[in-house]
Amino acid sequence: MVNEKTSAIIKRNLLSENQVLRAILGICSSLAVTNTMRNSLVMGLGVAFVTGLSSLTLSAMRNIIPHRVRMLVQTLVIAAYVIFVDLFLQAFLPDISKQLGPYVGLIITNCIIMGRAEAYAQQNPPLPAALDGLFAGLGYTMVLLGISFIREVLGFGTLFGMNVNFIRFETWTIMIMPPAAFFIIGGMIWFMSARAAGKAAKAK
Amino acid sequence: MKRGHVYTLFFMTILTAVLVFALAAAYEAFKPSITTNKLLQEQRAVLYALGIDDDLSDEEVRTRYAESVQPGAVGGITEAYGQPVLAHMEGGNAIAYAVPFEGSGLWGSLRGYLGITADLTETRGLVFTYQNETPGLGGRIDESWFKEQFRNLPIAAGVELAYGANPEYKIDAVTGATQTSSAVMRTINKSLSEIVFPKEVK
Repeated sequence: MVNEKTSAIIKRNLLSENQVLRAILGICSSLAVTNTMRNSLVMGLGVAFVTGLSSLTLSAMRNIIPHRVRMLVQTLVIAAYVIFVDLFLQAFLPDISKQLGPYVGLIITNCIIMGRAEAYAQQNPPLPAALDGLFAGLGYTMVLLGISFIREVLGFGTLFGMNVNFIRFETWTIMIMPPAAFFIIGGMIWFMSARAAGKAAKAK
Repeated sequence: MKRGHVYTLFFMTILTAVLVFALAAAYEAFKPSITTNKLLQEQRAVLYALGIDDDLSDEEVRTRYAESVQPGAVGGITEAYGQPVLAHMEGGNAIAYAVPFEGSGLWGSLRGYLGITADLTETRGLVFTYQNETPGLGGRIDESWFKEQFRNLPIAAGVELAYGANPEYKIDAVTGATQTSSAVMRTINKSLSEIVFPKEVK
């Protein structure tokens, strides 16, 4: 695990080990917040920010954290960063803060953050850990944007709130509701698994 | 490395203290702008409920609020749920009121204002100042298509507002958020029956 190349960390987190599509983490928020692209983007960036910083912090402390209470420590650090993000948004970006409201608090419960802390930050030096966390979060953002692109176009006929429904088709109500994300994520996971299986077969 | 309980306890105490201190410091530093923003949001919300917010800039919100909103009273009630009843003044007369409401939603409290005309026959608008409903589902009560449905609805003593097609109006609930939608309606009707049209005390 030591001395993994930066490009390898990035590629792994965005594609081959994408946290949502390959590790099936962070599914709850992927279903809930992906009805518009703007929500997805801000949620994704929030998660990327917190994952990066919490991985950095936890990795820096990795040698002094008592093993038995490491999960307590992880939660504590993650919660502190999320509260900080929440305060920051309230103070400087009140409009975004209001729109996101409870989304920000939901970042704490995103499994990806703790997943990266457990799986990577524990055993790796701070810099790679921060990169790993950041790109795990960006991989999540990417998937969210992909899902919300399909949902927003078909469900509202808009992109980032701008009308793109030029041919005036009837919008699909189901795309606005969470089941739509369920089907889309299912399809994406299928695609990624098939791709991974194909690669594995070739390698043999 | 072997570490005992004392170390664990010590570590957790120090870490918690450091994080709490850091967050408290951040909060203190951000507090002035957070307070300003909250006040502004509250004022903008009241203007929205009264139907006079018209895409104003922050500065215009402050001015218009100072010019046209004053503490008021509906049927002698000046305060509800710890919030003042506010009046929209024009030429020295109250032409509408913003009546506070509070109730429980699906996950947490619902708070906001219901704007009503001074003769208590129509609503002016609905606004939420606090809601903690599921994002993307119940949270959509805060989207304008939902709130805009509550403009100019007929109200009267003993008559409750309801979803669906009614003789004089039509209100859609949020799809996939029946609990939250019902909670909103219940809360508004409670505010109407308790504050706007309280039963006469015999």
